[in-house]
Amino acid sequence: MTEPPAAAITTMVTEVVGDRPDAWDLAGRLPLDVVRRLGSAGVLCPQVPDTFGGLAMSSVAAGELTAHVGSLCSSLRSVMTSQGIAAWVVHRLGDPDQRKEHLPRLTGGELAAVAFSEAGAGSDLSAMTTRIEAGDDHVVVSGSKVWVTGAVYADLLLVFGRYGDGAAVALVPISAPGVVVRPLPAPLGCRAAGHADVRLDRVRVPTDRVLGGAGMPLPWLVTSALAHGRLSVAWGCAGILRCCLAAAARHARTREQFGKPLSEHQLVGRHLAELLVAEQAATQLCGYASRCWDAGSPELVPATVTAKHFAAGAAARGAAAAVQVLASAGARDGHPVARAYRDAKMMEIIEGSNEISQLLLAQHAVAVWG
Amino acid sequence: MNPSTGGLTAHPSRRLNADAVRENLTAFLQQRLKRPVAADVDLFAAGLVSSLFALELVVHVESAFGVTVAGPDLKLDSFRTVGAMTALVMRLGGAGGD
Repeated sequence: MTEPPAAAITTMVTEVVGDRPDAWDLAGRLPLDVVRRLGSAGVLCPQVPDTFGGLAMSSVAAGELTAHVGSLCSSLRSVMTSQGIAAWVVHRLGDPDQRKEHLPRLTGGELAAVAFSEAGAGSDLSAMTTRIEAGDDHVVVSGSKVWVTGAVYADLLLVFGRYGDGAAVALVPISAPGVVVRPLPAPLGCRAAGHADVRLDRVRVPTDRVLGGAGMPLPWLVTSALAHGRLSVAWGCAGILRCCLAAAARHARTREQFGKPLSEHQLVGRHLAELLVAEQAATQLCGYASRCWDAGSPELVPATVTAKHFAAGAAARGAAAAVQVLASAGARDGHPVARAYRDAKMMEIIEGSNEISQLLLAQHAVAVWG
Repeated sequence: MNPSTGGLTAHPSRRLNADAVRENLTAFLQQRLKRPVAADVDLFAAGLVSSLFALELVVHVESAFGVTVAGPDLKLDSFRTVGAMTALVMRLGGAGGD
């Protein structure tokens, strides 16, 4: 099977998405056929090897694709991040049979959401109380998860929970008896990403749906999953910056006040300069982290947190600047810079808040430079 | 990928390879932890390994010895000591061990 080149995939995504993200934001919902179409083309988890029906992209190529999706629609990019984490976790923690069973589904149109957070376990995931209890030939999953990205669209939930003395991940079909998905009515950002609270009321699943790495300490289990998600978020933020840079530069070139284009007003020009630098710096940090992933270098771990931390902050500041430049032209829900403004703020919280990222980076600074 | 990888595969015997694996891991840990690390010290019980560094350790083991640690092998006990990691690498056939 010959793989379509990355450029063809990018074009396909642009065509499928079209000019609709503004309306998706207003409606708070992505059309399921769009998500499924991209899912069945392997776009939502593009690093899955071709032996499992995936696009077998490198981290660098997948990152650029993620940035492209992020430049169009952060809600869709969030769904992509979830699918990517799900595929990574199955590949990493699953045994060969589980990979063979589940990865082709994730590249074939089945949609997955990953359930980490709970009401009492946000940044401190070690406080999670969801339990995966072993029975004879099945396990019983009980708990309440919050803010599960993509849960509204998902067919499959990857549920992180306590298992014996450690932790495990259970693959729970959303249709299983005892699963209740309650969509979040009005999230601040990524409004169409299908965020939901999910209750699992003694849900029985066969034992072979607990991924092979069961019993690991919880921090181990989530660190690997989060690392993948963080890099995806970081690339998505580079995409937000591209969208904001383009919108601000275009507006500043064409809009005139006081007899000259906005771009010739120096205080506006400064916003454009900072956006330009932010986009390049975010892209470079993401590229470095992705090259570490592709090379299998341990440096991927701190490089990923660095990229996520910088890109999220830069996207939040850049989106605020873009709204400032567009002013009334961009200050309405649905507009790309208004979406970026709300979506980027969420990126400073998700997959390790600014503060958690700083704590991790401070530890690393002391270990390496101290 | 890792400059220390090349020399490891040159060792002819399995015994020597295990020694080289142990040396590589000890050097990696000592460089990052800035203290001597005996082959039998429990890295987790001693509080030497943050969750972030644990992931670095996994990736180092994979890249330095050309093995893949996934599924059931990806457990704490495999990484608890330098000795346990060495055994894991040898079992997975890294460093020309098999």
